[in-house]
This record gives sequence, C-alpha cells and structure tokens, in this order.
Amino acid sequence: MSHERWTVTFIVSRRKGEQPPHFQSFQLEVDPDEYVLDGVERIWAFHDRSLVFRHACHHSTCGACGMLVNGVEKLTCITPIRSVTSNGGKVKVEPLRNFPVISDLSVDMSTFYTRMEETCAPQVVPVRGSALPYEKGLFEQADPAYERLADCIECGCCISACPVAVTTPEYQGPAVLAAAQQAFSLTGHAGLLEKMDGADGVWRCHSGFECTAVCPSNVDPAWRIMDLRRKVIGRRIKRLFGLAK
Amino acid sequence: MAFSKPHIIVIGAGFTGCALAYDLARRGMDVTVIERGEIASGTSGRTHGLLHSGGRYCVSDQESAVECIQENIILRKIARQCIEFNGGLFVALTEEDAAYAPRFAEGAAACGIEIEQISPQEALRLEPNLNPKVLTVFTVPDGSFDPLRLALAFAASGRYFGAQFHPYHEAQVLVFDGQRRVKGVRVLNRTDGSTREVHGDLVVNATGAWAGKVLAGSGAQVNVTPTPGVMVAYDRRLINRPINRLTPPSDGDIIIPQRRMMVIGTTSYEAEDVDYIPVEDEQVQQMYSDAVALVPGVAGCRMRGAYMSARPLVGKGQSGRSLARTFKCFDHLEADGIDGLVTITGGKATTCRVMAEKTADLVCKKLGLSIACETHAYALRSYRDYYTPNGGRP
Amino acid sequence: MENQPSPKKFLYWFDPRHRQPGTWAFILNRITALGLTFYLVLHLVVLSNLTKGAEGYDTFLEFARQPVVKFGELLVIAAGLIHGLNGLRVVLTTFGIGVTIQRQVFWMLMALAAIGTAAFAYVMFFVA
Ligand SMILES: Cc1cc2nc3c(=O)[nH]c(=O)nc-3n(C[C@H](O)[C@H](O)[C@H](O)COP(=O)(O)OP(=O)(O)OC[C@H]3O[C@@H](n4cnc5c(N)ncnc54)[C@H](O)[C@@H]3O)c2cc1C
Ligand code: SF4
Ligand code: SF4
Ligand code: FES
Repeated sequence: MSHERWTVTFIVSRRKGEQPPHFQSFQLEVDPDEYVLDGVERIWAFHDRSLVFRHACHHSTCGACGMLVNGVEKLTCITPIRSVTSNGGKVKVEPLRNFPVISDLSVDMSTFYTRMEETCAPQVVPVRGSALPYEKGLFEQADPAYERLADCIECGCCISACPVAVTTPEYQGPAVLAAAQQAFSLTGHAGLLEKMDGADGVWRCHSGFECTAVCPSNVDPAWRIMDLRRKVIGRRIKRLFGLAK
Repeated sequence: MAFSKPHIIVIGAGFTGCALAYDLARRGMDVTVIERGEIASGTSGRTHGLLHSGGRYCVSDQESAVECIQENIILRKIARQCIEFNGGLFVALTEEDAAYAPRFAEGAAACGIEIEQISPQEALRLEPNLNPKVLTVFTVPDGSFDPLRLALAFAASGRYFGAQFHPYHEAQVLVFDGQRRVKGVRVLNRTDGSTREVHGDLVVNATGAWAGKVLAGSGAQVNVTPTPGVMVAYDRRLINRPINRLTPPSDGDIIIPQRRMMVIGTTSYEAEDVDYIPVEDEQVQQMYSDAVALVPGVAGCRMRGAYMSARPLVGKGQSGRSLARTFKCFDHLEADGIDGLVTITGGKATTCRVMAEKTADLVCKKLGLSIACETHAYALRSYRDYYTPNGGRP
Repeated sequence: MENQPSPKKFLYWFDPRHRQPGTWAFILNRITALGLTFYLVLHLVVLSNLTKGAEGYDTFLEFARQPVVKFGELLVIAAGLIHGLNGLRVVLTTFGIGVTIQRQVFWMLMALAAIGTAAFAYVMFFVA
C-alpha cells in the first residue's frame, strides 16, 4: 500500500447467459500496491454492478480468485497491480481456461472438485513432511503432532495453464494428480496408483512444467506427477515379480 | 407424517447463511439460499481464520467466551476437515500485560476454557520464533480454519439434505402479500440478467453487514454500521499455533498460522459503505509492528496480502429485542409488525452453528413446529461435495 | 462451448506466449517429430529410386552434393539430436531424475544438440 496513484485500464472479459463473450474497458485510479482483485472488486462496487467474479479470502488461502491476468494464470488477490502493468498501462483480466464459464470471470469448478474428492486428499496434513521433500529444512523440527492446512488451495490455475488439459476434458489434470501423489504418500493406498496409471492419468502429461510455473501455492504439481509416475512404475515392476497384488 | 414441507428462503451464504441452510434442511425443511456472489464472498471469506477458544473474551464478555469454547469443541468434531488444531498461546510482553494475567486466568476458569500457565522457556521450546522477552504465557485450545472451506462444508451438508443454493443471485426486494407479510423475494440472476420471484413461507435475512441494505424500503429495519478490520498475511509460517497478546482485546493482537503463512489481525473502525473499503497503508504498518512485537521473525518475511472485512455493528437505537446478546436475531413481527421475516447478524465464525441453531429454533416456533436441532452431533459432509453435481448423494 | 477443453484446440500447443521452456521443448519435439517423419518418407522414396540401377545412383549422388541438400541433411541431424535428447529429458524426469533442475537439463541438452549440429556441419562442409 502506498500513496502513489496510477491510472490503469482494466480490460475485462464479459459474458452473460448464452451471449458470446466480449471485452469491456474500465479506467481506474489505483494504488499500484493494491492487488488485481481489488481493482476487479472496485469495478463491481463503483462502475458496473453486473460484474460476476469468484473470490473469498483475499489472502491466498481459498483458491477462489484464479484468473488470467495479461494472459497468465494468477491468484488475483496476491498479485499487486504493480507487478503486471505500469502507470497508464493495461490489465487484461479473463476467466481461467479449460473450465466452463458461469458468467464474466467466474468459472464452474464442479468437475475439478469432484476429481479432487475422488483422490480423498485431505486438506489438513501433518506439518512434518507436508513440504516438498526437496525443500530442505522446512518444518523438519516440528513436533510430529502438529498439523496444518495443505498447500493445494484448489485454485485451478495449473489446469488452466496445462497444454494437455486444453485438448482433452478427460485428463485428470495436474492438481488432481498432485493430490493423488500426496494422498498416496500419506496413506499408501494402492488404489490411487491404479486409478492414475492410465492414458488420462500420469501418462498423459508431457512434462511441460507449466503447472508448476503458475502454481501460487508451492505445490509443484509437475514434480509430484513425476514422483507419482515413479511410484506407478515401481508398483508395476513389483507386480511383475508377483510382489504386489 | 402428513405435512407439506415449509419452504424457507435464506438470503446470504456466509457462515451464518450456510450453517442455517444446513440446520433447516436437516430439520426437514425446503431451503433456498440466495447469494449475490460466490459462497463466503462477503465478510466470511475474509475473516482472520481464528477458531476462538474464548480466551479473547473471557474477561470482557464471558457469555461470548462460553459460547466460543462450546462451539470450538463441537466444530473440532464436525468440521475437522478444514481446521488446523495445534492449540494456541496467550503471551504477555510487558509488565502491564502481565498484570492482566490473574484476571485472564480467573475468567478462563469461570468460562470453562482449559488453560495452563507455562514458563517462558517452555513457550520458547514450543514456539522457537516467539519474542524471547515473553513474561507470562498460557496455553489455550485455539485453532485456525480455512474460511471458504468451512462455509462450503456447511453448504455441502445443506445440499446433502436437499437445500438449494443459488450463488450469483441477488435479492433485490422483498415481496409482500398485500398485508404486512413477506411472501418471498425478487431475485436477480446475475449470470444472465434475468429476474424472478421466489416465494416461501418465511424469509431469513442472513446478509451480515448488508442486513440493513437488504431491508431498505421494506418497512422492516436493522441499523447496521460496518466496522471493518484489516489483516495482513506474510509468506512464511514461523509459528504452529495462534499467538494472542495477553491484554484486554485491542488492535493487532493475534497472529495465526495458516498453510505456509501467518496472518496478523486486526483493527476496528467504522466505515460508511460496505461494498468497497480500501486498506490503508497506516493500518498495514501498524499490523506489521504489532506482528513483529509478537514474532520478531516477521521482519524477515515478505507481505503476501493485505485485506479487510467488515463486522456488522448493530446500531444502538435499534428497535426490537434481539434473541441473544452474543449475536443479533430479530423477528420483524415483534420489531416492525412485519410477519414472515427474520434477520440474523453479528456473532463469529466460531459460533455460526449455534447462531443457526437459535435462528432455526425461532423459525420452527414461528411455523408452529417443534423439531430438535441435530447439527452438533454429526460430522459435516466433505466441503468438496458442495461443487459435486448432486451434493455427494449417491 | 468455448473455454472448455477440445481436441480442436491443439493449435494452442504451438502458441509459445507466456510459456515455459518445458512447453518450448514440447513444441520443438512436435516439430522435429513431424520433420523426421517427413524425412523418413522422403528417404524411402529416394531409396526406391535406387532400385532403378547404377545410373539413378550416380545422378542421385550428384544431386546430394549440392549445398542446399547438404543443408537439408544438417537440419535432419539437428532435428534428430533435439528430438532424441529431449526424449532423454522426458525419460529422466519420468524416473524422477533431475526434476527440480529440469530447466537447466533442458538448456544443457539443447546446448549439446547445438554443439553436435555444429560438429556435423564442420565435417560436412569442410572435411568431407
Ligand atoms: C476483521 C474481522 C475478523 C474476524 N475474525 C474472526 C475470527 O478470526 N474468528 C471468528 O470466529 N470470527 C471472526 N470474525 C467474525 C466473522 O467473520 C463473522 O461473524 C462472519 O463472517 C459473519 O458471517 P455472516 O454470514 O453473518 O456474514 P457475511 O459473510 O457477510 O455474509 C453475508 C452474505 O450476504 C450476501 N449478500 C449481501 N447482500 C445480498 C443481497 N442483496 N442478495 C443476496 N446476498 C446478499 C453477501 O454477499 C455475503 O456473502 C471476524 C470478522 C471481521 C470483520
Ligand atoms: S507438466 Fe504435465 S500436468 Fe503440468 S502443465 Fe505440463 S502437461 Fe500439464
Ligand atoms: S496445484 Fe497449485 S495451481 Fe493447481 S490447484 Fe493446487 S494450488 Fe492451484
Ligand atoms: S480470494 Fe482466496 S485465494 Fe484469492
């Protein structure tokens, strides 16, 4: 937050009912340290009450506010306006790709949430071991009894950025595979490996690492997918030698 | 039982509206929820996220404190899925703070909050990043929750029992039956611009800080002053449990962990308009120095987000008697001579279940029914089921 | 409905804007795969010409000495190196090797491909 003032043009994707989508521009006076979501909310509050968008926590814990900002997936509540444009510049805001649009900027999460639920990935996980294994020293000294909310906030940014998800609705998608990896690490439930071992599971991913680049919450879905592949292969090999059912 | 199900319309899907929809649906009623945005897009989504133990209120407002600890225990059972529960600390940093300790201990005992005084050394063993100058420390059963997911869990459970949710639908005006009785709401579908009337046996206004606005022009009244508070999130998790400053409730006195973050809150001032309240730089600075006082390591963190939300402060000149003192629940028949309308506002996220219980009791009474509340006894459905096509029902 | 996944959107794969090295790698792999397949067909056609006797062979060798053709062959070599080395990277990451440094691995392998191509170019144009 600062006392600086910028004039910024928000170019917002609009869509009502079955009408085709179009863009609408709004010129706003903003504090460049405010977040993109603040700008969007202000458009709703002062310029156009019909603007529909998803949001809840405004501090990156709920995952509701994922949008495309100047073509890139962003969690808009923690994306300072300063980081995406300059004074007199433009901010183009669109709904996430690869999700059905409900209206304007809000998208329908049902398929995604249904798939997440099918992995049974818990939101509350033990603090110890909850970080990525290669993040050395993080939370390691914590009491084993401590717990915390998991990293994935189910924002859908990774699915929007994934070049495989763009061509097939059947692909489970990075967040779901990452959730399966984490759930498997916690529970060892082999059914998860079986479920994700297929053409719409771990093998569809073509290792573009787009998901990891846009994930706002340190999940590193691509790393988890590669780890899941290794686990899937490991299980197949064991089965080959009759060591697993 | 030959009774046609009563149809209740709930306006607002924050914690209160979602918990109420679940309670009413569980009692066998038809429930329609009208919410202008996404679930929890009002005050609820933007709360601090502290599952109160009641410690914060055990001196100044014991009734609230008792309610908090009772609900804290219930939510830990029914909403485990979105609560991180590591307990919490109350810490005294100055002699003045420490002088408050005996009153705090007495209050907690009176309210049935399990606290324990531990030595500063022990506290620093539990939370190595705590300010090493702490003088007096108590443990309390605090926790932190994910705001959207807590609301979704109630909403999902409501859907499981048949409640219908209509997000992105705005209640425009109340519809009367010609007399002074509300028969429904005119609703704007914000996704396509169409409007329609929804009729029911009773309308519950659960719009929190917007409760007064929704009733505007209807003859019914609640005077609500939005009193916002600012919160700031930092990008590292240096603590594992909420740290409260051991003083009478004041600004910036609680820091909570959430995921990989810490969130410090909060302030309190009065605002005019609820729809958009800017976060001022001065408040962010104040939050920062308050946070550094409790956990000095905050100085080495990056700010991740700054946000605010507004409590509904119900005006002093309010006519009509509230059902409870800890939150405001009005039967508008009593207050304004308007039937078929109830307003519920105020309270806390931690106590949303019992607020819903009391409101659903009132709804039952108004409809001449006696059905007992069961929401305290069963775990909520998975929050993800809110988005699944049939609400998790087979 | 627009904004939803569809196989028709495969062109999006070739849109490099805002994309990571991983996707460039993917794009490179598609293009080189198409190129190599095309070359394979061409190769078979040319080979079948050789069955027409020694005369055909000689004219072909004459043709193959032209710099343009040599350059074409160089492209094939480059494509083969890029495709193969990239494939190696995918295999490695799949087995969990070098996942956290996949970007660096990508640039390293591409540098290798460039060096390899340059070496071949030197041999083709100056030595042979
Ligand atoms: C700064 C701050 C920090 C807090 N921290 C904590 C905490 O740490 N722990 C805790 O337990 N409690 C906390 N609280 C309290 C808690 O957040 C609130 O009590 C709770 O969110 C209120 O929920 P509600 O459902 O009544 O209101 P809201 O969440 O505001 O719900 C009202 C809903 O009505 C909708 N609405 C408005 N007008 C219309 C209309 N015309 N048509 C349809 N829908 C409409 C809005 O969109 C909104 O979603 C905090 C409050 C504040 C302000
Ligand atoms: S790495 Fe796999 S899952 Fe991630 S964006 Fe690329 S294709 Fe999608
Ligand atoms: S993996 Fe990351 S980007 Fe994908 S849904 Fe989870 S938090 Fe969002
Ligand atoms: S609004 Fe919750 S993550 Fe942005």
